[in-house]
Amino acid sequence: MMGPEIPLYLTVASFLFATGALGVLLRRNPLIVLLSLEIMLNGANLAFISFARRLGDGDGQIFAVAVMAVAASEVVVGLGLVVALHRRDLELDVDRLSTLRG
Amino acid sequence: MGDFLVWVVWVLAAFACLGSGIAVVTFSNPFYSALALIGNLASLAVLYLLLAAEFVAAAQVLVYAGAVMVMFLFVIAYVGQRADTVWTGGPSWQFVGGVLAGGAILVEVIIAIGLGASGRLRDEADIDAAFGSPAEIGRLFLTDHLLAFEITSIVLLVAAVGGVVLGGQSRRVPEEEASLGR
Amino acid sequence: MEAAAWVCLISPLAGALLITLGGTRIPRRLAAYISTLSVAVSFVASVIVFFALHDRPPDDRIVLSEAWTWLAAGDFGVPLDILIDPLSVFMMLIVSGVGALIVAYSIGYMDGDDEERRYFAYMSLFVFSMLLLVQSANFVLLLVGWGLVGLSSYLLIGHHHERPSAVAAAKKAFIMNALGDATMALAIFLLFWKGAPLGLSEFEYADGTSQTVMTLVALGMLGGAVAKSAQIPLHTWLPDAMEGPTPVSALIHAATMVTAGVYMLVRLHPIFEAAPEVQDLAAGIGAATLVVAGLIALVQTDIKRVIAYSTMSQIGYMFLGAGLGAYVGGMFHLMTHAFFKALLFLAAGIVIHALAGEQDMRNMGGLRRFLPRTRLTFLVGSLALAGIPPLSGFWSKDSILGSALAEGWYGRTLLVVGLAGVFLTGLYTFRMFFLVFEGDVSPFAREHVHAHGHREGPFSMTSVVAVLAVLAAVGGLIAIPGLWNLPLDWLGPVAEPLVEANALQDYVVSAISVALALAGIGVAWAIYGTGRLRIPRVAWLQRLFEKKFYFDEAYDLAFYRPAAATARGWSRFFERPVIQGSIDAVAGGTRRAGGTVSHTQTGLVRSYALALAFGVAVLILVFVSVRQ
Repeated sequence: MMGPEIPLYLTVASFLFATGALGVLLRRNPLIVLLSLEIMLNGANLAFISFARRLGDGDGQIFAVAVMAVAASEVVVGLGLVVALHRRDLELDVDRLSTLRG
Repeated sequence: MGDFLVWVVWVLAAFACLGSGIAVVTFSNPFYSALALIGNLASLAVLYLLLAAEFVAAAQVLVYAGAVMVMFLFVIAYVGQRADTVWTGGPSWQFVGGVLAGGAILVEVIIAIGLGASGRLRDEADIDAAFGSPAEIGRLFLTDHLLAFEITSIVLLVAAVGGVVLGGQSRRVPEEEASLGR
Repeated sequence: MEAAAWVCLISPLAGALLITLGGTRIPRRLAAYISTLSVAVSFVASVIVFFALHDRPPDDRIVLSEAWTWLAAGDFGVPLDILIDPLSVFMMLIVSGVGALIVAYSIGYMDGDDEERRYFAYMSLFVFSMLLLVQSANFVLLLVGWGLVGLSSYLLIGHHHERPSAVAAAKKAFIMNALGDATMALAIFLLFWKGAPLGLSEFEYADGTSQTVMTLVALGMLGGAVAKSAQIPLHTWLPDAMEGPTPVSALIHAATMVTAGVYMLVRLHPIFEAAPEVQDLAAGIGAATLVVAGLIALVQTDIKRVIAYSTMSQIGYMFLGAGLGAYVGGMFHLMTHAFFKALLFLAAGIVIHALAGEQDMRNMGGLRRFLPRTRLTFLVGSLALAGIPPLSGFWSKDSILGSALAEGWYGRTLLVVGLAGVFLTGLYTFRMFFLVFEGDVSPFAREHVHAHGHREGPFSMTSVVAVLAVLAAVGGLIAIPGLWNLPLDWLGPVAEPLVEANALQDYVVSAISVALALAGIGVAWAIYGTGRLRIPRVAWLQRLFEKKFYFDEAYDLAFYRPAAATARGWSRFFERPVIQGSIDAVAGGTRRAGGTVSHTQTGLVRSYALALAFGVAVLILVFVSVRQ
């Protein structure tokens, strides 16, 4: 294969994943959180594709497609929530939205 | 020569990917974050092409960058742009904990890769030209992974219905519900 | 004949069930009629059984009739059977006959009571229980009947349950009876353990069992008898039981339940004969009771209580007789006592009814103007009780006293006691008579007498009293010494008396006892009738009698207070800290734990995500290290 070996791709993927994780953990705007979530999912996708190439098995790409579909669904629901929150004039701050406390 | 070119493309795409990823996480304006994400998706598509996953790359651009991100931008525009102070607020241990967790995960994965499944990641398989083509993906979806295919469709349906339900309740908002979260 | 015996037993139970199932749907009067009818049917059936048994030759009069095998365990079995023999038929006639009369009386007495149906259901239940007791053919069934009788007594004493005194009296009766039940049960266990047969018609209990065992068994049985018959020391419940309605006092606490102890002494005479010390003890208890009760009766002011103590005293006579082996005499006195004591109670009931519930004799007087016929019947009852010939009490009491004379030095000692009791009986009975009926009309009576027109009471009440008066008058003529002795002929084969007085002893004793009775009546007349004699005032004696010889106080000190203190101590030092405390600790601890854990539910999505991220980090570490 031409170009970098698989481990380099995997490194990129893990960086992406970690970055997304940091975003999920450290941002307060739910929209940004959702975007960070997308970053994480993309990191995972890259790992899948890399391994698919490495093993010569198309299953990894199938999985990546499935992940994309699920990510899309989850974004739909998440954005629906955000819209609903906005309609009720609630602050878009995950720290404030804490009524499910024990 | 070809190899060199590939390397150059790879480096550009990889750094764009990482950079846009960090941008998504750090911008205070959600609109800019969304745009950064689009950039991220595009660079990822390039990487996919390098890995002989043409169909996935195309789907990434069309579906992800095209549809999902557009939806995102719609909502961000609807909600209005509010810059939020990025790192403040929340319990103080949240910040430390977050960095620690994220860092830990990164380090561990790198180590795992480095330990490299002891060199087994080195060898790539030989692939034929059909690998990663739409025909191949389609064949796999409809034979080996039919169940996944069907379930994914159901998931999408449920999400669509859910989105409609969530979005369509504004007409009956009682006044006291508006105090939630304050 | 067996069918009739079963009908006799089941009929009152059927009546009780019918009333219970009818509930408030049936009118109150109907409940009364059902109950009376059920007991009357029982009486008719027992008469049939009597004649059928009489047809048989005297030595062939023991019949067992088994319904089914009730308890079965391997070889051992306890059948559900009834015993038809002269003794049980004798009791059946008395219980159902006097019972029917008294239940009929209740139709008038309880008219208008709020809970009439419950009363009649329980009366029928009681008659059934008593019949079960006398008809049972084995120890286990006897114990069942014994317990049921105690239960019915409790239910009926506490009929006016809104009165705390009635409830307390019911509990007292039940608890003391339960004590007797317990000793009886222990005795039965002992018999069973030693392998003795449990059927009552088999008399070989003593075969192969040691003397100590038989003594213990006899003691246990005696304990039950003493409790049920209200003899010293388990007698304190009987006066309090007067809280129940008057017919209840008549039926249960005069004619039937309290005589169950005497019945048992006679029925189980083989056991007692095998333990003669216990039998002597029974006689002694009877003698002690008869004189103590007589003394206490002298100072009572409540008319029912005088009659109650009188009952205690007369049963003392029966115990005396049965304890000395004069079984027939004891049973004969049981029968006549049922007549005249029920008569006295029911006549007193008419007085109470006419005075709208007043029972204190100090508020009565001169009632002969208002209740002449009741006075006459009351007089008949009092004379019978005192033992004046030719009324029934004379014949029966003197058969006992005659046997006491014939018994030896112990019997003669008890005879003296018994004769003292005769004097006391005459005295307290006629004190009561003179206080209530003679003299000037008391102001209270003038105000409150409320006769039904010229009738002294409802027909159901007066007719029954009249019948009982006749029975009390002539019931004793079935045994005239020297002429005939029908009770002896009837009961002899089953309960052979150990002693029999000869004619001379009988006449001597009779003469003395009549003289003493007349003396007692005379003194009563002098003090209460004409006022010529003053009552001697000995303060401490007066107090002793009024406090009923301090038995209640003694029991309170000896049993109640320690028990209550122990209970309080346990509650304070064990139950509350340990048991309640442990439960509280568990509950509190769980709540606190929950509270602590709930702090993790911050509601902040980010903290949850952080937890997830840390978990993932740990997992990756695990996977990587495991691989290596």
